Amino acid sequence: MKPLCKPLLIGLVVVLTIAVAVQGEYVFFTPKGSYTVEVSLENSALRRLPMYRNAITSLEVVGDFAVGGTSSMPGLSPYVFAVSLSTRKLEFVQDLGELIPGQRAIQSGFGRGQKGVLFAGTMPDQAGGSGHLLQVRVGKERLEVVDLGAPIKGEGVFALTASREREELYGIAHPSGRFFVHELRTSRTQVFDETVPSPKQLGFLSNYALSPSDFLARRLIVNREGTVFGSMPVNRLFRFDPISRRVDVISDELPEVWGRRPLGRVDAWAEGPDGLLYGGNAGDGQFFTLDPKTGRVTNLGKPIMMPRIKGLAFAADGTLYGVAGGEPGYTHLFRYNPADRGFVDLGNPRFTMTEPGIEQGIAWRGFQIGSVAANEDGRWIVLGEEEALSQLMVFPAVD
Amino acid sequence: MVLMVVLLLVMLGFSVPATLQAGEITRNNLRFVDYPDFPDAHSTWGSIGYSSVHRKVFVGVTNHRDRVGLFEYDVTTERMRLCGFIPDLANLRTFQWQGKIHSQIVEGPGGEMYFTTDGGESREEYLMNHPHGYSGGFVMKWDPAVNRLTNLGLGLQYESIKDLQVNPRTGLICMVSYPQVRFLTYEPSKNDLRDLGRLGSDHVPRVMFSDWWGNVYYVDWRQRLVKYDHEQRRLLFARDSLPAFPGTPGAYIVTGITAYAVDRKAGVIYLVTYGAKMLAFRPSKEGIGPVEDLGGIFDAPGQPPWRYYCPNLAMGSNGKLYYFIGGHGMYAVKGENIALMEFDPKTRAKRIVLTTPLREISEVTGSDVKDPAGNLYFAGRRDDPDAAKRGESGASRPFMIILNPERSLR
Repeated sequence: MKPLCKPLLIGLVVVLTIAVAVQGEYVFFTPKGSYTVEVSLENSALRRLPMYRNAITSLEVVGDFAVGGTSSMPGLSPYVFAVSLSTRKLEFVQDLGELIPGQRAIQSGFGRGQKGVLFAGTMPDQAGGSGHLLQVRVGKERLEVVDLGAPIKGEGVFALTASREREELYGIAHPSGRFFVHELRTSRTQVFDETVPSPKQLGFLSNYALSPSDFLARRLIVNREGTVFGSMPVNRLFRFDPISRRVDVISDELPEVWGRRPLGRVDAWAEGPDGLLYGGNAGDGQFFTLDPKTGRVTNLGKPIMMPRIKGLAFAADGTLYGVAGGEPGYTHLFRYNPADRGFVDLGNPRFTMTEPGIEQGIAWRGFQIGSVAANEDGRWIVLGEEEALSQLMVFPAVD
Repeated sequence: MVLMVVLLLVMLGFSVPATLQAGEITRNNLRFVDYPDFPDAHSTWGSIGYSSVHRKVFVGVTNHRDRVGLFEYDVTTERMRLCGFIPDLANLRTFQWQGKIHSQIVEGPGGEMYFTTDGGESREEYLMNHPHGYSGGFVMKWDPAVNRLTNLGLGLQYESIKDLQVNPRTGLICMVSYPQVRFLTYEPSKNDLRDLGRLGSDHVPRVMFSDWWGNVYYVDWRQRLVKYDHEQRRLLFARDSLPAFPGTPGAYIVTGITAYAVDRKAGVIYLVTYGAKMLAFRPSKEGIGPVEDLGGIFDAPGQPPWRYYCPNLAMGSNGKLYYFIGGHGMYAVKGENIALMEFDPKTRAKRIVLTTPLREISEVTGSDVKDPAGNLYFAGRRDDPDAAKRGESGASRPFMIILNPERSLR
């Protein structure tokens, strides 16, 4: 054997051995062009969010910027931040504690207003405290966060959405579960009790050791007709007509696994190109559609064998991306396209993180993902982690 | 005479490296001890520790499927004994199967030995909440005084626990989970489990270590030291990453530290990184402390300096560090041999002491396991061609290695 042949042969054997070994493992979802932005890092000279204050519980994309609202551990305050998708850097950070003391979380999700303005609500750090409404505007030079005040004294803002046309915000108050409408032009808030669980329902829910954080609607949506949709205990859906100012309970319930009705609530919404509303039921992780005209609910099944669907977003080609599962397991990214193959479980996404000090790049695996957003042309999907040190994961949804 | 030594070593299954510089450490300085009463024993995974109170070495041995045996080696009588199998000792049900002990076996305040369990296979990581999946890694305590195992409960549901450290004064346990790299603390006296969060990327650094104040150290994804400050009960992060060779791939950085050895007298903890650096860490009571780069664990011209696998380290009574390089497809010595190395931290000189073919030793684990007589203990494995022929994945047979650099064990 020639001198060079032996090392080559050994190398080939090693490569083949590794290849066979790798075949036995799972292939991670790592599409070309995907990347992870380091948003959180403790004790760093770089612009980063500190530990325990960075779970990305609200996420939206405005122009070039992915805007996040975070949740923190008790006694700490959250952040609003903006990551540029072109520079792939955390560009702006606003410590909410500097603006409104006593707030713990921005978990409501963002509602979109006019000219790229976002709105969100906060949860107070202490029970009995008041959550605030936030107006967020991001530009090339700065991130501006404005306190719009507390819509309901003594209650947090658990979920929030917005109507661009009507210039109204719609929210769910915590812990009562009341639905509210906040008029941006007048700063007036109207409160509705139809979504509040009755004492009998609260007794039923307490049998399952559930608290309002477990059964209130995590997300609201305004469809293209301007109607607001959300969920309410126990396992019900409601709609709010902004013209008649009426809350109606929809007769079809959320899809149920027998015996688990008390767990039912909407975790995420996305409006499809067909006008149907696609939703995730937190209770058992069922994926469903709601026909906003008829109120008909169709159970599309469970993407994976775990509860929760915390985020949904449509890509430009009509494919829906979502995240299912989470604690105490971990999130699976999935895609859904009825014209293609239905559900495809993509597992844990793993995208490269390249930052100062780790220029060679490290693989970042997303375990706990709490928010999903598409950019405005639907070509990029952004995933926000919910960890002690959370990062932002981005991938191209369309080639 | 030299020829005779070479022939003798070859007969004993060792090949003599070209760089052998001294003959003072020979096969006679090593002894291999088998694990009795476990015919299908497959491997060991860093699951070794020493009890200073009972003068015994403990080793967790697995069939790498669902049976884990706990063994004790009595340093005084030089006898190895099976303490029992974990499922029986801990009253585990079949759905609570455990693939292995991956953690070190660490002495607690009263001489009890603590360890954690691990799923160890793809079915742990991917089946998870499926009925065939994994019910989670346990924290366990073995009391050598009464031969009793106590199950202290789960860490995280569905997660393995790769390693732990125990505060010798308070008994507080620090551990790390797999695959989510979550840093956990557990206070047995209060049954208080705290999840301090995820610290890693897509690979779990396997080794934690302690200083003499009881603080525990780990690394984050940038290979920065992370200290669990026992008094403040919180994590402190180093500002800078540990030294690494230029060009070290990210996958090597995120895997962190693979082995350590403590020199209490000098106030130094020696660390080996997955990127094949030897480091001297001098812990400070406040903050974290400086790290000195001692160079690579192996030098070979033309080879990437980071690509040497070394999941073991111990310091001899002579003040020199000893470690076996090789395993998991990465070998320093031509022909896929394991190399026993000696490293003098004062001069930074290193040399190959011995090499062995994989049929003798294929991989060695264990950090800082030694007795007062200067014996260093490692958990060893050797390739098992017969089992490999039957299709057994990564087939090997485990045994314990005793090394005394200063005296014959024969």
